[in-house]
Amino acid sequence: MTDENKKADDVTEQPAARSSQTPGPGLKRRDLLRNVGVGSVAAGLGSATYLQGLNLGRMRAMAQDTGPVKIGFIEDESGNLAVYGLQKLHAAQLAVKEINEGKTLKGDANIGAGMVGVLGKVAANPPVISKEGTALDVVNDGGAQDKADLVFDEDDDILIDSGEQGVLGREVELVSADGQSNNAVWQQLARRMIQQDQVDVLVAGFASAEREAIRPIVDQFSQLYFYTNQYEGGVADANTFCTGPVCEQQVIPTVQYMVENFGPNCYTIAADYNFGQLTAAWTRAFIPLVGGNIVGEEFIPLSVSEFSQVIARIQQTNPDWVMTLLVGQNHHNYYPQAAAAGLKYPMASTVNMAQGYEHKRFPPPSMANMHNAIQYQMEVPTGRNRAFVQRWMEMFPEDQYIGEMAQNTYFTIHLYAKAARLAHTTDQETVRRALELGWGIEAPEGSVFLEPGTHHCAHPIRLAYCDEQHNVSFLRDWPMIQAWWLQRLGVNLIRNPEYKQYVPDEDPYFSFV
Amino acid sequence: MGLTGGLVPPVIAATGFGGERAMDELAVIASVLYQFGTNAAFLLLCALGLIVILGMMNIINLAHGELMMLGAYTATIAYQRGMPFWLSVVCAFVAVGIFGAILERLVVRRFYGRELGALVVTWGISLILAQGTLVLLGPFMPAIPIPGGNFAVGQYSFSGYWIGMIVVCAALIAALWWLYNRTEIGLHARATMQNATMARALGVNTDRIYMLTFSLGAGLAGMSGALLAPTTSIQPFMGQQFVAPAFITVVVGGAANVIAGALSSSLLLSLVKTPVGFLVGAFWGTVVLLLAALIIIRLIPDGISAAIQRWLERGARVR
Amino acid sequence: MRILELIGGNEDIGRGPLFWLPFALVVAAFLAAPAWLTEFEAYNISFYLLNIPMALGLCLLWGYCGVLSFGQVAYFGIAGYTYGIVAGNLVGLSWGPLAGSLAGLAAAAAVAAVFGYFVFYARVQMWIVPILTLVLTLLLETFLGQTAGYQWRVGSVQLGGYNGMTGIPSFQLGSHVFFGFSFFYYVLVLVLACYLGCRMLVNASWGKVLLAIREDALRTEILGYDIRFRQWATFVLAAVLAGVSGLLYVQWGNYITPTQVGLLQAALPVIWVAVGGRDKLLAVIFGTYALNWLNYSLSSQGNQYALVIIGGLLVAVMLFFPRGIVVSIAEFLSPRRRRSA
Repeated sequence: MTDENKKADDVTEQPAARSSQTPGPGLKRRDLLRNVGVGSVAAGLGSATYLQGLNLGRMRAMAQDTGPVKIGFIEDESGNLAVYGLQKLHAAQLAVKEINEGKTLKGDANIGAGMVGVLGKVAANPPVISKEGTALDVVNDGGAQDKADLVFDEDDDILIDSGEQGVLGREVELVSADGQSNNAVWQQLARRMIQQDQVDVLVAGFASAEREAIRPIVDQFSQLYFYTNQYEGGVADANTFCTGPVCEQQVIPTVQYMVENFGPNCYTIAADYNFGQLTAAWTRAFIPLVGGNIVGEEFIPLSVSEFSQVIARIQQTNPDWVMTLLVGQNHHNYYPQAAAAGLKYPMASTVNMAQGYEHKRFPPPSMANMHNAIQYQMEVPTGRNRAFVQRWMEMFPEDQYIGEMAQNTYFTIHLYAKAARLAHTTDQETVRRALELGWGIEAPEGSVFLEPGTHHCAHPIRLAYCDEQHNVSFLRDWPMIQAWWLQRLGVNLIRNPEYKQYVPDEDPYFSFV
Repeated sequence: MGLTGGLVPPVIAATGFGGERAMDELAVIASVLYQFGTNAAFLLLCALGLIVILGMMNIINLAHGELMMLGAYTATIAYQRGMPFWLSVVCAFVAVGIFGAILERLVVRRFYGRELGALVVTWGISLILAQGTLVLLGPFMPAIPIPGGNFAVGQYSFSGYWIGMIVVCAALIAALWWLYNRTEIGLHARATMQNATMARALGVNTDRIYMLTFSLGAGLAGMSGALLAPTTSIQPFMGQQFVAPAFITVVVGGAANVIAGALSSSLLLSLVKTPVGFLVGAFWGTVVLLLAALIIIRLIPDGISAAIQRWLERGARVR
Repeated sequence: MRILELIGGNEDIGRGPLFWLPFALVVAAFLAAPAWLTEFEAYNISFYLLNIPMALGLCLLWGYCGVLSFGQVAYFGIAGYTYGIVAGNLVGLSWGPLAGSLAGLAAAAAVAAVFGYFVFYARVQMWIVPILTLVLTLLLETFLGQTAGYQWRVGSVQLGGYNGMTGIPSFQLGSHVFFGFSFFYYVLVLVLACYLGCRMLVNASWGKVLLAIREDALRTEILGYDIRFRQWATFVLAAVLAGVSGLLYVQWGNYITPTQVGLLQAALPVIWVAVGGRDKLLAVIFGTYALNWLNYSLSSQGNQYALVIIGGLLVAVMLFFPRGIVVSIAEFLSPRRRRSA
């Protein structure tokens, strides 16, 4: 974090335009400071004038009372991560269009987590959704619906009228830029959006590296920031709201299911960077609690694309199932290579299939027997999701897939609009307070709850399963899993603002055995 | 150090039955040999196109990865149109070879003697190719399914395709050897490599040789890309993953003798990488590969093939 | 006065009042930045400027001495990471960043010294040097990329693997933290100092010997000069300059990742120097500034064709201006100038 020393008595020059500090909903003007200190040039190096005059750290991004509401959006539209970035861009465009047309998602502040459950009749097996196309055709409906079990209440229509066009009578504008999968560009773009374009909210980031590159900038300017991606967990930052799932929501259900169904011995192969390391650490910490054990672990550099040695080591160890935490283009080569080598172990992941749609990109049976606990995947066979997919395909008929993170981006932008409406302003501080009321929002995935203290979301989780023909079914549902780890760490960003990311080693209770 | 790869001791069934133990040991040996072969084949395929061009024209072709990408795309598109796989590979060879010839005519030939200028130009070309593919064809394309089945030895199973690739590599080496040593064009090419001015004085059309060599190098890169296409995902920046292994193999091999260099270098580097990768982990395999490359280059600066050449000449002189 | 003589020498583009007057005007315009730039624009310009020392080092090494190193970014990264570790552990102490900067430069110099010793004193062929330095860079990136685990920390600072090292402190002298416009001036002064220093170097006898080595190393050696030492020393100097860029980068963005020492980044300094004109310092300054500006302008407009345009530009420049744009223009403008090669 940058040190900001502000000495109040060191001012030698008053900047020309100063904002008035008058309170009032939506009427604060942005602090546009232009420094005319020519006299300080000679002493430029030593002058604290600029620091004082610019008053960073206290700079509040202030709303303009007229003009469009700007949503800053940075994703990778080219480069290595383009396959994910383009989906998220389309999601944002769809959400903005719906908001401007006067639509919003159901949901309110201060409504707690959970979905209503009733007793009903279910089929013996879940329906199997075809991998072909985007119509979510049911290949196999799972049998006759004659078993009594708990079912979850579903409403078909979660998109309702908002009562106005845009937000607070102003049009919503998406200011988007391409990060080019390059962190230096991300930083520059983040600064441009915050300082020059003066966006009211920033929605950006796919890889953890990208988020960490811009988070210090976000904190410097106290910019309201949404990170909509799944990640390794631990970000406790008063300016940041993470609406993607975290390890405790994905790793634990997956591991539990796999140990229950396939056996205790797990071999982990993970991408050798933070996300892979930390997720593998979560797997390692949790698996003894359900009676499993890690028989082998391998961290693979991101540049490796040839896996015959990795495959040989797995075969040598002969586990019951394999946990694959592979990220990036090079790593996706593992699946066809393993299938060609005849590797038949059940696989589990928290990253693959739902984001990069490997089951559609690779020919069967590369992804056969893959299990993934996710909060959303395009194949979710609920009424609300079918309606959402249809709306998406009407706007983007060429798209092949709607991934996990794209859906997160979609409901996050709707959530922002709702919070701004409740706050009656787009002033970032006020909207942040509005978000910290805690929000229940109906997303295509199900009911999502934004927790006030941790700035993370509780999600409905499903276990996705990919069969030999790459068709998808959901074998188990967890209606609501909270992001409880930050709570256990005692993070409460309302009472105690922080600006860091926690890692498992800072949690003395992380590993119980 | 913090690496949790660990040491995985080879699993030898501790049963009393001698037959089973022998079978397991055989399986382990087969697995190690297989890994050695696939590593070497991968390095060889990456390096072949690059070394042909380097050996002849001393040009470091930074667009090599993108030429492989073009080959992969060509083969994938051809396959999707219904062509059988092996024909798509040939198609990729021809298409990228023609593209290479055009590139040579238009751009590269102005940089002979200016290796470092060639470096920058080929980098620029690689940017254009990669980004252009992204713009024209989008970020992804469905991959070709890996042909060939698999077979098992003991508890290990091996992919038939990679076995096939090892065979194809051997065939390629043989074909190149035949081309360079048993044809007239090969003779002209070797003469040009040795002393271009003299060759021209003797009536060899060096311009044509250069064009054909660049075309061959590009075609080989395209073919390698096509052969590796089923094992990887098809996307515009896929060339990047091949550049580093290609360069390292080429530099260790040296350009004195194209075939000996490529072959010896890929075998040697694979020999170093396989046991480490098998016993410890992929990361240390990569590190050892790089360190070995550094050491070999330090000891034999102009590459293994030059050392082999010197040793052969010394032997000839003694006799 | 010897200094002025050295600065005014003719081993670089421009001499005499016809050159120095516009030069002074440009510098003055930069110094008056707050009058016509927003802080955001100054911040971006700082980024274009801070890459210049690395390019100057490469120019010395390649243009004047004839040794191409593909691995300048390795020293960029070493200096940046070292600064992050040292200053990060000394956070709260006002001399922490200064100590970190010195440590960063020292680390870059040390690694270059050892590596350079093995390269130059082994009499390796010159065309191998780019590959060797590239392999070193890849090794460094591979190593840094796997430092994601929590155990990879020095003191209280985590290396962070591909997530990068975050929260690197800005530079400060005493109680003043360099940020915004003050950082802009800091970079400007440093870059000017580097440029004038390099200019003095190439105009002095050291520079002449370097040129001689570039022209014909054997002949220079026969004439009695210790060419190994000079190549080695220039290599170390170039590494230190790359380290300066690395320091400025982390002090600018407070963040560094292993991709900064990756394959794509490694080619960039070579490109900047080749496009500007590799054997003239001023040309390199233009090339670096212009290409960085172009890259940012194109990418920030969301232009899909950004990389295509840059690639095309590179091809065009090398085809039509083989000695670099600025050098070609300079030679065109002053046909009476002695061509230095």
